[in-house]
Amino acid sequence: MRVSSSFRRITTISKKELVEFARDWRTIFALLIIPLLMFPLLFIIFPLLLASEAAELDAIEVNVVIQSNDFPSDLAEQLNGSGIELNYEPLSIENNLSSPLEDGDRLRNGSIDAVLRMKENGSVWDYALLYMSTSERSQEARTRTLTVLFDWEENETERRLVDAGLDPDETLRPLNWDGEFSDSDVATSGEQAGMVLSLFIPLVLSVWTFSSAIQPSIDMTAGERERGTLEALLGLPCSRNELLFGKWLAVATITGIGVLLQLVGLLFAIGYLATTDFLTVPTLSIASIVFIGIAVLLFAIMVVAFELALAMRAHSVKEAGSILGPALLLILFPALFTQVINLDGIETFWFSIPVVNVLLALRELLMDRFVVEHIVTWIISSGIYAMAAALYAARQFKREDIVTSLS
Amino acid sequence: MTVELLRVEGVTKSFGHIEALTNVSLTINEGEIVGLVGSNGAGKTTLLRLLAGVYTPTDGAVVLSDGSKVEDARHRLGVVPESTGLYSRLTAWENIRYHSRLYGTSDEESWNRTVFFADRLDMKESLGRHTKGFSRGMRQKTALLRALAHAPDILLLDEPTAGLDVTSARTVRSLVHQLGETGGTVVYSTHQLAEAEAVCSRIIIIHNGEVRADGTPAGLLEQTESRNLEEAYVSLTTDKARTRVVSDKPLSKIAKWWQKLSTPKIPGGDESE
Repeated sequence: MRVSSSFRRITTISKKELVEFARDWRTIFALLIIPLLMFPLLFIIFPLLLASEAAELDAIEVNVVIQSNDFPSDLAEQLNGSGIELNYEPLSIENNLSSPLEDGDRLRNGSIDAVLRMKENGSVWDYALLYMSTSERSQEARTRTLTVLFDWEENETERRLVDAGLDPDETLRPLNWDGEFSDSDVATSGEQAGMVLSLFIPLVLSVWTFSSAIQPSIDMTAGERERGTLEALLGLPCSRNELLFGKWLAVATITGIGVLLQLVGLLFAIGYLATTDFLTVPTLSIASIVFIGIAVLLFAIMVVAFELALAMRAHSVKEAGSILGPALLLILFPALFTQVINLDGIETFWFSIPVVNVLLALRELLMDRFVVEHIVTWIISSGIYAMAAALYAARQFKREDIVTSLS
Repeated sequence: MTVELLRVEGVTKSFGHIEALTNVSLTINEGEIVGLVGSNGAGKTTLLRLLAGVYTPTDGAVVLSDGSKVEDARHRLGVVPESTGLYSRLTAWENIRYHSRLYGTSDEESWNRTVFFADRLDMKESLGRHTKGFSRGMRQKTALLRALAHAPDILLLDEPTAGLDVTSARTVRSLVHQLGETGGTVVYSTHQLAEAEAVCSRIIIIHNGEVRADGTPAGLLEQTESRNLEEAYVSLTTDKARTRVVSDKPLSKIAKWWQKLSTPKIPGGDESE
């Protein structure tokens, strides 16, 4: 009976927090809509925009000045067919063709896009290609010219080898791959996808769990105190632990939905990329999915309790914000660090370090790897950290001075 | 016959080395409207928070008639803090229902009581409105309805008419009167003597954390040989009121340095400190 009434009070607190949250469209947009759209925008819309920009660039004709006194006619022909408008000028410089001289001004003011200087020096050609790296047109002119130049160089090399009585293939490519290159990897495409995803899903989960819990944690603690609603709440017949648990449940629900929507967005983007052969859907066993759920839950318990504790401890909403904002680094640094840790033969102690343990666990699980020793270590250590964070939060909620803001 | 509802037994409340209340003893009897009168920082709010079970006494105890500690019997109290404590994104009724549910009262019961009192406070039409746009008076009335919805034995009101217009203040006082007439028990904190005299059947004067007087308005006049309550109050509180202490926590060296750096100097001010 007592447990059921306690549970009723917890759910009442939690429901009220969620109703209040749902009635603020700005918070909904920041914590639910943005995470849903982030990856589709990043992986689908952004590449489409880039492709459209690239197509636009492909369509333009660039202006390249050829400065040479004896320019090869076959090279000129090849350049002509590459969307390059050529203008010929005599070469007035003898040494150091890379020196821009007065051509620097012409490149800078955009009247020309690149300058190709070529001079025959015995059996070789000396050349330099002047451009301006901060201009997209100039970069494009350089790329197109270099492509033609390297093709011409290859043809010239082969011609010279043939003239010398040599087989170009044997001479230039003495090492030859036999068969299909992609057949040589024993990892399935699903496993490869898991490997790729293991590099950023843990990062997304951890950073978003922490960052999306900041605003509701502050609002439900320091915010409630600042608005004067906390005093009335503390006079009600519910314990401080019930209050904490109710608020934790609300923040965890909001954060959980945010993270879930972000994953939906990510999987949608992956699904889209999978149709373009860029990435396939990872293969995950049921056990992996279950353990991923446990890891995320333990992490969420720890992070949300920790944030609620810090926010309740703060004297004002402003102070809570200035504490919790930079505290994101506590997650970000380990998250980035774990991306570079080699999982092959990794020592077990890594799975007992706070934050790092859950991130490494997620990486292993996304690659469908099961190392019992690692799983036991991260479950026990994460459980201890989650409990410690919950106890710390309970201690903050039991403080008498939480009634009024001390600021 | 006087029925004792709540007893404060030698309560002292300290925050660090500051004693907000010193050895306070009093009883609240059924059907009384008790006024807690004192200047700002006298200890009225601290005493109300102790009565509400929000604070725990440093020494002494606050117990109910059945011997239970007040923190274990909060369902018998209805509290209206000075700040009203309404959630602006909820409607008035949702605010009331939220507290009622936490008190363990059914929605139907709390709705019936809310409608009954809302009629008297002219708030019935506003129950479905979000409290965000409410005036101070409407907020105060909603907080009153919220505190009454679970049928508390004792109603604790902290400065319920502070900042209200004349009409709203009159409505609130009228409701408190009605509650008293129907046997309700109210503890009413105010720093307005005239208001206490108009509303309360008994007045407790608190000054610098101590109870200086406790009795009916007429009894206080007799005790102090004064012609009116203002005179009586002045004679009981002749010592200078202490300033309100926000925090007694000593500042760290860094905090002191930063405070000094970020506080503008007053031209021509005394820089000797």
